Amino acid sequence: MRWGWLAIAVALLLYPWILTGPFYERMGADLLLAAIAAAAWNILGGYAGQISVGHAVFYGIGAYVPLLVYTHWQLPPVLGIPAGILVSLAVAAVIGVPTFRLQGHYFSMATIAVAELVRIVVGNWDFVGAAIGLMGPAVPRSLLDLSFKSAVPYYYIFLAVLAAILALTAHLERGRMGYYWRAIRAGERAARSLGVPVRRYKLWALLLSAGFTSLAGSLYALMVGFVDPESAFGILVSVEMIITAALGGVGTLLGPLLGAAILVPLKATTNSLFGGGGSGLTYILYGGIILLLARFEPGGLIELSRRIATRSLKKAKARAA
Amino acid sequence: MSKRLAPAPTLSRKREREVCKVLACGNGFRRSSEQGKGGIFRSGLAAYPVILLQIIAGGLLLGAVYALFSAGLSLIWGMMNVINFAHGEFVMIGMYVAFLVVTALNGGPVAFAPAAAAFLFLLGVVVYFGLIRHIIRGPMIAQILSTFGLALLLRYVTFWLFSANFRTLPDNLIPGTVDLGGVLLGMPQLVAGGAAFVLTIGAHLLLTRTALGSRLLAVAEDRSAAMLMGIRPDRMQALAWGLSAAGAGIAGALIATFYPFSPGVGETFALTAFVVVALGGFGSIPGALVAGLLIGVIQSLSAYAFGPVYKDVVVYALFVAILWVRPQGLMGKLV
Amino acid sequence: MLLEAHQVSRAFGSFLALSGAELELAEGEIVGLIGPNGAGKSTFFNCLSGDLQPTSGRILFAGSEVTRATPEAHARLGIGRTFQVPATFEEMSILDNVMVGAFLRHPARGEAREAARRIVEFAGLDRLRDQPARSLGTPGRKRLEIARVLASEPRLILLDEALAGLNPVEIQEAIALVRRIHARGITLVIVEHIMEVILSLTGRVLVFNQGRTIASGKPRDIVDHPAVIEAYLGQRRQRRRRE
Repeated sequence: MRWGWLAIAVALLLYPWILTGPFYERMGADLLLAAIAAAAWNILGGYAGQISVGHAVFYGIGAYVPLLVYTHWQLPPVLGIPAGILVSLAVAAVIGVPTFRLQGHYFSMATIAVAELVRIVVGNWDFVGAAIGLMGPAVPRSLLDLSFKSAVPYYYIFLAVLAAILALTAHLERGRMGYYWRAIRAGERAARSLGVPVRRYKLWALLLSAGFTSLAGSLYALMVGFVDPESAFGILVSVEMIITAALGGVGTLLGPLLGAAILVPLKATTNSLFGGGGSGLTYILYGGIILLLARFEPGGLIELSRRIATRSLKKAKARAA
Repeated sequence: MSKRLAPAPTLSRKREREVCKVLACGNGFRRSSEQGKGGIFRSGLAAYPVILLQIIAGGLLLGAVYALFSAGLSLIWGMMNVINFAHGEFVMIGMYVAFLVVTALNGGPVAFAPAAAAFLFLLGVVVYFGLIRHIIRGPMIAQILSTFGLALLLRYVTFWLFSANFRTLPDNLIPGTVDLGGVLLGMPQLVAGGAAFVLTIGAHLLLTRTALGSRLLAVAEDRSAAMLMGIRPDRMQALAWGLSAAGAGIAGALIATFYPFSPGVGETFALTAFVVVALGGFGSIPGALVAGLLIGVIQSLSAYAFGPVYKDVVVYALFVAILWVRPQGLMGKLV
Repeated sequence: MLLEAHQVSRAFGSFLALSGAELELAEGEIVGLIGPNGAGKSTFFNCLSGDLQPTSGRILFAGSEVTRATPEAHARLGIGRTFQVPATFEEMSILDNVMVGAFLRHPARGEAREAARRIVEFAGLDRLRDQPARSLGTPGRKRLEIARVLASEPRLILLDEALAGLNPVEIQEAIALVRRIHARGITLVIVEHIMEVILSLTGRVLVFNQGRTIASGKPRDIVDHPAVIEAYLGQRRQRRRRE
């Protein structure tokens, strides 16, 4: 297990030296960004079992606030990152506090409603660029603007952030927080009977998840230097987080990275095959994948491989006996 | 504001959505929205009784359609504790069925409404047997992602088949306007609203007054007890999915006569249905009817007061407010 | 008194599932709750564990009011419970299930793990420690639930039909386990249909019928109590007529 992680770390560190050129460099950065966002979603959806279908709202806030502080006050966008996180946490509390009193689907429904609400408001609010969106500094004024021509610096920034999120998640997973989350996901009533303060732990998961998703949005805005309502707040932003985590394996450390490693290259391929106009086909594929996962293997590829492994192990044992 | 209202000949996909919402609202009560944003509230409502009545009437008619498709969502929720994120896509597909019947077969409302109902009924039953019955006792994530994935699939298949362009049905399908003491109501809206109202009440009567309805409700109440009584829950649940989808389909076909549509409209409908059901109480059709009418009126009043693009914002904000204040809904009671 | 319930009632809509139930429990007792199906035993249990809030009445635990406290507050105070239909955390291993309970008193992972290990051993689940809970059958699950709640170190455990669905050998094992739990100084309330269990374990029995306690006393005396016979036989007669 430890060797596996080491191998992944080495591969990720070396990637920009192995696959060079703007296309692969950008794809690498996109892959890590998708993994960061999915890892953030996974804390809430995977570990604590609370399915958000509107995580784009946190991503969008994270993407907008840095460019907003630049547009209005000419501050370095980086300074907007903590502000974005604070706004995201506030929005998370507005959604989580009432819905976590209730069981079931209320939380999911509220997430998508709030995400749509914010998307429409942002798309019509001139202060935040309305339908046009916001731009970052065209030419970097200092290193603080974190504006680079190549995707490689972003790649390493993203890698560091991903490593930090996964390390924190791994730490929480092993401790009381992780156990309580998994207990909540498995059965709230039983968890409460054992003294798990269910509402508080769900809120913790939501706040952590919203904060990191906001950070992912900020990183996106820093790299791309431009955001508009659809690319930051659109439903497809939420969809990509969900499918990335779910394909790899919800509630697993490696799942989001695995999902991103499959989906980002896949999307790059389908987009270049079908062209921009055929991007609908990518989402038909996404819809189909999500549906099939839900129907046949809600645990994702990691669970699937685990199951195949135990099955072949059993077969081998049976043969030996 | 005005630069975004004027539809350019070639719109980006993103922009088209915005324009749709503007058009969709403006279409319903064009006369009132021409009066200008905010004017009515600044000058005092009393000065404009006719406009106010016009807005309320338009809202009620649209609200009846909301009630019709929300009732189906409510039924599924009450019976199976499953929330259908693809419900809006069912409405959207109903619109495209109407579109196909009109353009390919030259049919009118009498042909396309039943066609949409039949097609969606079939789709609902297929979805039940192919998907829902397998995830109904599965983990939460499977329940939510299954219909969410289905929504995406249906939306983008429609997108692929019909493109993202907005479609409208010909103006003259249901011609005419009715003048009720200065309140002008378009025939398409009247027919849609009236039919939806009748159908929603019909659905309620079907559930409460017929043998079939009591079998459905028996399954909702207690699955194993219903089985002991010789009812096959699987069949009843499939029927509920069929009816729910059929209701959404007719609702879609009915509003297609005056509501421009693209594959993306489903999301708005799904969210509207969530609000209606949350307000009316999960599992209650009379609740859905009252809440639907209320949401329709709130929506058209807010479209007038804050501008058409904000009509959904107000409704979604209302949803969050309901969850904070009264999560069991106004008439909250489970089936 | 460790636990006192006074005039506890609970209505579901217009249906009164519990009307004026009474219970006084001293530390160290094992008390049995019996009564026909639908007598309100489970509702009473849920009120005692905080899963349901009584419509009226008061419940005191170790002298402090817990009538409207949440289930997690009950657990913190030292009231643990098991469920009629075992609610184990299916995907988690048996040790992890028990650790969830252990974390209540031992926030640090290492200590929780140690405590959970001891409990798993105590409950005789040692051998299966790393198996997922879903691999267990009903008897195993019931045993795991007991282990899990023990790990939360309660003063009082409410066992809701923890022995139903077990074969005679398993029942004997479970009775032995309950005795060992009692020997650790834990007070128990047991809902059970199997008379054998009630007779061999409990020092006192409360009989429920139609939402209230109709009799209480030593198990041997209760069996011959006319009201109890009426409640049970009356129901059995009714059932026969229905069939």
